[in-house]
Amino acid sequence: MRVDGSKASAFDEAFDYVIVGSGAAGATAARVLADTGRSVAVLEEGPAVDPKEFSTEVFPSFQRMFRGQGGQVARGRAFIPVVQGRCLGGSTVINSAIVWRLPDDVWEPWKTEYGLGDALPLSELHKHWDLIEKELSIAETPPQVWGEFNRLMDVAKTNLRVSAAPIRRNVRDCRASARCLTGCPTSAKQSMLVTYLPYAEKKGAALLTCAKAEEIRWDGDRATAVSGTFEAPGRPRFTARARKAVLVAASAIQTPGLLARSGVDSPHLGEHFQAHPGCALMGIFPNKVGMWRGATQGYDADHHRRLGRFKIETIALPPEIVFARLPGAGKRWMRAMLETPYAAIWAVQMRAWAQGSVRERFFGTDIKFDLTPRDLVQMRRGLRFTAELFFAAGAKEVWPGIHGLPERIKPGEEWLLETAPADSRAYSMILSHLFGTARMSVRAADGVVGTDFAVHATRNLFVVDSSLFPTNTSVNPQHTIMGVAMHAANRISEAKL
Amino acid sequence: MNARSRAVIEALIPQGGQPPLPGAFESGFDDFYARFQNTALPSMRLGFRAALWAAAWLSPLLIGRVPPLSRLSSEDRERALEAMGASRSYHVRQLLLLLKAVISFHYGAHPAVRRALEFPS
Ligand SMILES: Cc1cc2nc3c(=O)[nH]c(=O)nc-3n(C[C@H](O)[C@H](O)[C@H](O)COP(=O)(O)OP(=O)(O)OC[C@H]3O[C@@H](n4cnc5c(N)ncnc54)[C@H](O)[C@@H]3O)c2cc1C
Ligand code: SF4
Repeated sequence: MRVDGSKASAFDEAFDYVIVGSGAAGATAARVLADTGRSVAVLEEGPAVDPKEFSTEVFPSFQRMFRGQGGQVARGRAFIPVVQGRCLGGSTVINSAIVWRLPDDVWEPWKTEYGLGDALPLSELHKHWDLIEKELSIAETPPQVWGEFNRLMDVAKTNLRVSAAPIRRNVRDCRASARCLTGCPTSAKQSMLVTYLPYAEKKGAALLTCAKAEEIRWDGDRATAVSGTFEAPGRPRFTARARKAVLVAASAIQTPGLLARSGVDSPHLGEHFQAHPGCALMGIFPNKVGMWRGATQGYDADHHRRLGRFKIETIALPPEIVFARLPGAGKRWMRAMLETPYAAIWAVQMRAWAQGSVRERFFGTDIKFDLTPRDLVQMRRGLRFTAELFFAAGAKEVWPGIHGLPERIKPGEEWLLETAPADSRAYSMILSHLFGTARMSVRAADGVVGTDFAVHATRNLFVVDSSLFPTNTSVNPQHTIMGVAMHAANRISEAKL
Repeated sequence: MNARSRAVIEALIPQGGQPPLPGAFESGFDDFYARFQNTALPSMRLGFRAALWAAAWLSPLLIGRVPPLSRLSSEDRERALEAMGASRSYHVRQLLLLLKAVISFHYGAHPAVRRALEFPS
């Protein structure tokens, strides 16, 4: 069943499980719970967008499918865009389909320092990842769809002898259109929109779209319903009553706000916000690269992932996004635009030490995040390594786009990147991997969510997204999020509620 | 859009600036601007206006000229906007970035521009 909140009137129905959020976490939980034969409702604030309507243009795509029309930012010394999907399928609709299992070295402290080894057992997670990988056709990106900008990293890998490889992605028959950011027009990308949500719907789940959950209602320590408003004119109210449980999967940015609005009180709520800041360089090659043909993100270098805390990824971005960061104004800016066919963009994705916060304020969600001095050192090392990769692949120039550095760097000048300012305001970064704002803990005093995924001191209000992660993951998170959500949903379905 | 703001946009993407790329207005920026005004979030609209204002009134000061930007020669307009990008003030740099970002929403999607870049149709 579908309820389109852009047209619906008031709604009040009961379900066994009510899930808030339809992204990686919510859809995976829905997929598991729908299999139990119980009734499930998924509430999604954004619209359901038919893949046939995906546009190659960024502005309408941002307006329709991105939170804050793509303008959400974290405040700190610098403003850093925080990019998220706001549509049926959540950020999986606009992501690049990169799949990484949570590395052992990241999980180990979850067990030893945070005591979560039994709550998030790695062996169980691996079983879930096996299943997800089968269901979402996850495989290494084949050379036929690399395109030149991915192939060049393969060249760099060979020349520099570093650890790098084609990325494993959740795609089926990827057509190498490099359009993942604005939605996959052929549904090759196995996002939640075209996989687990239709699966759950077929099994009877109700999908409510344009339906913003505003509050969780209580009877003592039991969550009994989720209420909110539809987007239709007049903002009709909806209530989804929960006979068994409410699962919150609204993302590490929206989950803490919903919990706070619903009376959950913990000094850890909205704190410990962690991320993987991304910062890109552009390499200019003597021959055409054609960034807009190839798997959007098809190759990465994990050489420094563990000790250096960064990974380098290829990425194709639409001209609209590329242009904004090109140097110059007027004729010089336009000349730079004409050089983009020769450009590849490779980005550092860093496992930051920094911890920020997420709070609901009267003007909206207030995200605070500042890189630590240690992070800035690692970031600059990552940028230098990226430049080294570019030159090893044959680039004639690298454009750093960093205030205080030359606009163009030549081979042999990679070291300049390590002299870039130790000030986050000099860089253009983004955040799209988000964690930790309702973290799991054994003791109520140390976090928001218990080891049974229920918010401490509540019986049946569960958090199943990356808000509960005690740390960032050092790798692209959707697979970890799905594995954890699958594990959580299995446990919840077995619990006596 | 008033004449001063138009001068800013025109200076950023001038007509005949770099053939075969069209100028901003030649490529239909007015239509995009109307759409932007009608559909963008208030915070974005406000940010864009602030950025236009800063480019018109502050950027000439950065190269020792009297504002507004529309009074300057086309070379000085470009120099003034470039000075915003190189400014020591983070906020000034961010305002130029915002201007370029919003204009790019339109310009980077324009068929003639995409053709020039061999963006697959
Ligand atoms: C551009 C981009 C590229 C990325 N690329 C990759 C990649 O290649 N590989 C990877 O592993 N990760 C990638 N990520 C990250 C990954 O997509 C996310 O980490 C993951 O989708 C998060 O899952 P989630 O369920 O927590 O949140 P989301 O997938 O963001 O879903 C949350 C959903 O909840 C909805 N919601 C929020 N509040 C409410 C409310 N009050 N009521 C109702 N609904 C609500 C939101 O609208 C949203 O649809 C990318 C992210 C972005 C933005
Ligand atoms: S590269 Fe293109 S075809 Fe492949 S998954 Fe992304 S949008 Fe779909």
